[in-house]
Amino acid sequence: MKTISHDELKKIVKSSPMLSVSASRLLQLTSNPDHDLMDVVNLVKTDANLTARVLKLVNSAAFGLINEITSIDRAISYLGERFIVSIALGDCVGKVFEKKLAGYEAASGDLWKHDLRTAIAAREVVVQGGMEISPDLAFTAGLLHDIGKALISDYLKDSAPEAIELITSHDSADYLDAEEKLIGFDHTQAGFELAKAWQLPEKLAEAIRYHHSPAEASEAFRPLVYAVHLGDNIAMMGGFGTGSDSMRYRLDANYTDYISLTPNTLASIMLTVDSEFDKLEQSVASTGEDKR
Amino acid sequence: MGQVILGVGDYGASNNPTDEVKTFALGSCVSVILLDPKTKTVGMAHVALPDSSINKAKATEKPGYFADTAIPALLAEMTKYGCHKKGKGMVVKLCGGANVMDTNDTFQIGKRNALAIKKILWAHGMGAVAEDLGENFSRTVTISVGAGQVTLSSPGRPNWQL
Repeated sequence: MKTISHDELKKIVKSSPMLSVSASRLLQLTSNPDHDLMDVVNLVKTDANLTARVLKLVNSAAFGLINEITSIDRAISYLGERFIVSIALGDCVGKVFEKKLAGYEAASGDLWKHDLRTAIAAREVVVQGGMEISPDLAFTAGLLHDIGKALISDYLKDSAPEAIELITSHDSADYLDAEEKLIGFDHTQAGFELAKAWQLPEKLAEAIRYHHSPAEASEAFRPLVYAVHLGDNIAMMGGFGTGSDSMRYRLDANYTDYISLTPNTLASIMLTVDSEFDKLEQSVASTGEDKR
Repeated sequence: MGQVILGVGDYGASNNPTDEVKTFALGSCVSVILLDPKTKTVGMAHVALPDSSINKAKATEKPGYFADTAIPALLAEMTKYGCHKKGKGMVVKLCGGANVMDTNDTFQIGKRNALAIKKILWAHGMGAVAEDLGENFSRTVTISVGAGQVTLSSPGRPNWQL
């Protein structure tokens, strides 16, 4: 199998879709703990296309509102910022999320579903696990955590049996290690390169880079990265992985330093993920038909 | 050929020999498979969690979701096909219940699902003749109703029979 050089990876990143101005500003804004919803409203108002999409979503059948919402302020406070971030990202870099991960033998759509479920689960881990960080930020980080897979998937084509063999023979500790052995990079390193090109806030970039090794994240961002780490594992346990790598990663049980979970809380999180996912998937998809 | 596709928390059965009963990507979920040789009926439940006491409303809406409510619901469903209401003579197979690597006790939902299902089966005087449980990969299950054959698949590895 051909390994990717660092220069080649840079080229791959360069040819990837870039964030729109409003998506980029939205991620900067919502990563700042001092922002409030009015800041989000003001930002969305500067983008006519995004405003239209948000209004269309809130009035779509998925929400079943009796009275139409015509003001963007009300629409955003009704939906919450996680829906706005999902729409803004889907609009400009939807291609990355919808990519068919051939290298992982996954169908197109599997990555987006996995990301959405990780996002919901990470948010619920924050809420139900008694954490003091922003639940919506955990959602955004969950949405973005696996973007690196879209970059390296083509280079991993037909490698799944070999990757699995590396793990079962204990030559690789997990799928991440197998990726690095096969092509010289793993999906968190590739994702981190894209995060830099997208100029993502540091905490989101670290969530992408360390979601399988949260202890390596900067201390300040560690709670967020652990929430995404658990969200990712919960998504895979619920049957929404991205193909051949599903469940073939290691749980860092030191999450207990930041998150308090009993088996019942975990079960309750899994239940919430199932019900929220149906709602979110339908509603975000239902505004997609006029995607420009 | 028809397909009976079962999602998370679903259960169902078929006695049409050209049908396939199928469920996708069991992570920590466990598929309970009941094969009734007498009526040539295949039943399956896709169980997500061990115990319905955490959410009774969900258990009423989707009994297949929890081990303790799924098995009675599946047995009741199969009586519609002439099967014995207590599962007499049925062949039981179990698969799924995977765990992530280095899992701790809290995250061993796969193991807890399998244990809860076995306990309930024992209470019904039933036991599995074949199982493919645990480890760390996801499984898709396809059962051909006519042949009663259970095929497992997982991305990146050849299919196998249970």
